[in-house]
Amino acid sequence: MQPLTDPANPWAAFAPFGVDADLVRKVLAEATQNGADDADVYFEHSVSTGVGLSDGIVNRAHTSIDLGAGVRVVVGDQVGYAYTEDLSLEALVHAARTARTIASGSPHRTPPVFVERVAPTADHYPVQRLWSDVELDVRVPMIRDWEQRAFARDPRVHKVQTTLGDGDAWVLVARADGTVASDYRPMTQGAVWVTAAEGKVRETGSYNVAARADLAWYDQTRQRRMVEEAVDRALRALGAGSPPAGEMPVVLAAGSSGVLLHEAIGHGMEADFNRKNTSIYSTRLGRSIAPAEVTIVDDATLHGARGALNVDDEGSATQCTTLVREGILESYLHDRISARHYGVPSTGSGRRESFRHPVLPRMRATYMLPGKTPPAEIIKSVKNGLYAEVFGNGAVQIGAGDFSFFVRHGRLIEDGKLTRPVKDVNLIGNGPEVLAAIEMVGDDLVVDEGGWTCGKDGQSVPVSQGMPTVLVRKVSVGGGRA
Amino acid sequence: MSGEELDLMALAQQVVKRTEELGAQEVSVSISRGSHVSIQRREGKVEQATEATTRGLVVSLLANDRYTSNATSDLRPEALDHFLKRCVDAARWLEPDPNRRLADRAATGRGVSEATLDQDDPTWRTRTASERGAWCESLESAVLARSGPDRISSSAWVGDGRSEAVRVLSNGFADRTAGAWFSIGADLTLAEGDKRPEGGAHYAARHLTDLPSVERISEEVVSRARERIGSRPIASGKYPMLLENRTAGRVLGLLAGPLSGSALHEGRSCLADRLGTRIASPLLDIVDDPTLPRGMASRPWDGDCLVARPRTVIEDGVLRTYYVGLYHSRKMGVEPTTAGRSNWVVRPGTRPYDQIAADLDRCIVVTSFLGGSSNAATGDFSFGIRGLLLEKGQVVQSLAEMNVTGNLLQLMEQLVEVGNDPWTFASTRSPSMLWQDVQFSGL
Repeated sequence: MQPLTDPANPWAAFAPFGVDADLVRKVLAEATQNGADDADVYFEHSVSTGVGLSDGIVNRAHTSIDLGAGVRVVVGDQVGYAYTEDLSLEALVHAARTARTIASGSPHRTPPVFVERVAPTADHYPVQRLWSDVELDVRVPMIRDWEQRAFARDPRVHKVQTTLGDGDAWVLVARADGTVASDYRPMTQGAVWVTAAEGKVRETGSYNVAARADLAWYDQTRQRRMVEEAVDRALRALGAGSPPAGEMPVVLAAGSSGVLLHEAIGHGMEADFNRKNTSIYSTRLGRSIAPAEVTIVDDATLHGARGALNVDDEGSATQCTTLVREGILESYLHDRISARHYGVPSTGSGRRESFRHPVLPRMRATYMLPGKTPPAEIIKSVKNGLYAEVFGNGAVQIGAGDFSFFVRHGRLIEDGKLTRPVKDVNLIGNGPEVLAAIEMVGDDLVVDEGGWTCGKDGQSVPVSQGMPTVLVRKVSVGGGRA
Repeated sequence: MSGEELDLMALAQQVVKRTEELGAQEVSVSISRGSHVSIQRREGKVEQATEATTRGLVVSLLANDRYTSNATSDLRPEALDHFLKRCVDAARWLEPDPNRRLADRAATGRGVSEATLDQDDPTWRTRTASERGAWCESLESAVLARSGPDRISSSAWVGDGRSEAVRVLSNGFADRTAGAWFSIGADLTLAEGDKRPEGGAHYAARHLTDLPSVERISEEVVSRARERIGSRPIASGKYPMLLENRTAGRVLGLLAGPLSGSALHEGRSCLADRLGTRIASPLLDIVDDPTLPRGMASRPWDGDCLVARPRTVIEDGVLRTYYVGLYHSRKMGVEPTTAGRSNWVVRPGTRPYDQIAADLDRCIVVTSFLGGSSNAATGDFSFGIRGLLLEKGQVVQSLAEMNVTGNLLQLMEQLVEVGNDPWTFASTRSPSMLWQDVQFSGL
């Protein structure tokens, strides 16, 4: 199997496919023949494996291999892109010629000369063992054990499904300016789905965990938590109802409520929307948008996080970017195109789903730093409202700033106490208005360990998100009665 | 039949044979190859142009009744052989699941000819780069011409592609299919204080000539952006809900989850034990038709290679079929229908959208959904919406920051009228629909 990484030799993982500096030099020379402000070739090789259990047997496995390269030519803010699954010189040169047509009508620029300069790569997800070296016979007993523990936890557990998916990915990006960067990116995701039955009522609950980590990450505590949470969510849903409809105070529980940040501000801070002046935050840099207790970061350096990145997909160094510092909007998330537009360094936010997609500015791991208030005090301060605990999907309209997110499980707050369980309710609001309506920030930041995936322009990338317990003065709750 | 298609078929046959040699008792192979081009323009120039030819192979196999499903894009001979060995070897760690066996050869086959499907528009083969560029530029210009000084940004895009696929099973089934697609769309962002209301339109079709004109699209884009100005929530309460034809498919699509064999088998379907009973207003009539000419989800065979044929899903409000593929049919001890939905053709009513709206004192028109989700086990749903408040068919308020919440089974009974204007640019061909007493939350 190929090495994890070799900092001194970024070409190592792709040498078996005939990829070296000489091939890349030829491809980039073709790509930049009409001139370019930037150009790169991005190689990717991934191997992923999954096993699944249903109806009491480990009855399926899958293996997936993906290999290819994308060539990008950038002129100003114009992008030409082509990709191929064939890494031969002939195929890559054809892709380069296709991508460079974007530059055909532009004033001639002198093609840059490719002089290799190896970019430093961080180590935010160190691993001891490749997933490709883990036999299925290690995974199979794990997912069976999850199932057995789920059935043992409560007699109302009716059906259980468990899955474990993981993979190794190697990427190599070489830019026309000579920068060469490589990365090894592990990923794993384990999940438990439970259907609980009580009389004629059926409800489901699930829990999943994901990380850029190896097998050792699945310690007993984590595996136990996966099972217990999945079962308890299904059981809690059996007795849950619908909250009242309309505006009310909402306490967001620590953890997966970070989806609010992702939708309410994160997307609006991706610099491509601001460069085009289509984000509601386009004119608010340096302005106060939230109380001083609110600091929000997008952090590629979070150890082992699903959204962590050692180097971005343009070969830029990654960082922890502060989006909002003490309530003031501080920085957008930049790729190289927007960084050039704004005259600032890239924040290392240039990402792509795979070699089949051009780069976009994207979030990595977005979370709010903890405040000073104990969570119990926050709940106690609310007369009547909603305590939102477990979140599903979210969505946003970038220009209007309207966003929504789905609460799978929550509770009512009545007279400052958590009371009846509620489920399956959508919350909707306006990003800047909701951020301004934050009244209290808890001292209990939790970065959710779940397998979040962010979609934008048809591209999906893994992300993380987190939040301390937060009180928002009012949010519109899609309840069942007015 | 082109030489390229022959190559795909030969490779698929070869992979089936090799996988059997390696120890598989049954094998299914599909190989696809596609090409696509997309162009996006903004501020009078091309912002992004993407072009690629892509390929992929999927092999599913049973070895000693143990099942693995696998995919690769690395088709170099040595790499492929190594991959196949790995796929077969992985099976030994699993437990037997004979329900995964292939269909009987007699049950597999083609339900409709390629000629009848008419998915492979010959125009695609002769489409030139300059034609694509001019088409995109004309839409961008039309949007710019209709926009006013409050325009902040607008973009236009066009795309097209063609894919071909071969499918070979070790039981003797072997066939191929091909189809092209074309798409066009634009969006517009306007200035409104700090807010930037936006609107857009996107169309897709199997044949280029089925798409609307750039004039019609640009008119719609501008009108949809303008109608977002001044949007706000109104009081929570029950309102009649009018869904435009393009939006109705989203709500009807909620039925697909609980109708699936996996949901039924896992005990998480709110439609379990409802076959032959009324689950919706008698106005609702849905036929699943994979044989629909030029349909966006048409296909000659399904995922199990069972013959594709039209099926009535809901007839006058009565549930007539579930989506039970071969695997779940064996687990549940029932006859298979088909593994997944294709085109849904909804029976139209008699009146147009405008007439339905004009007859209502007040209604909420949902123009798009924003987030939200549903629970297949209970039918409960809750979605964010954007829309319009209409009185006697006239717009009185643009709506935002509102949710619509309810239960799927109750909602289906609340359907009171179906329009006569089916949407033809998506796999669900639904007309406009009017529902009564729907719960919206806002202020």
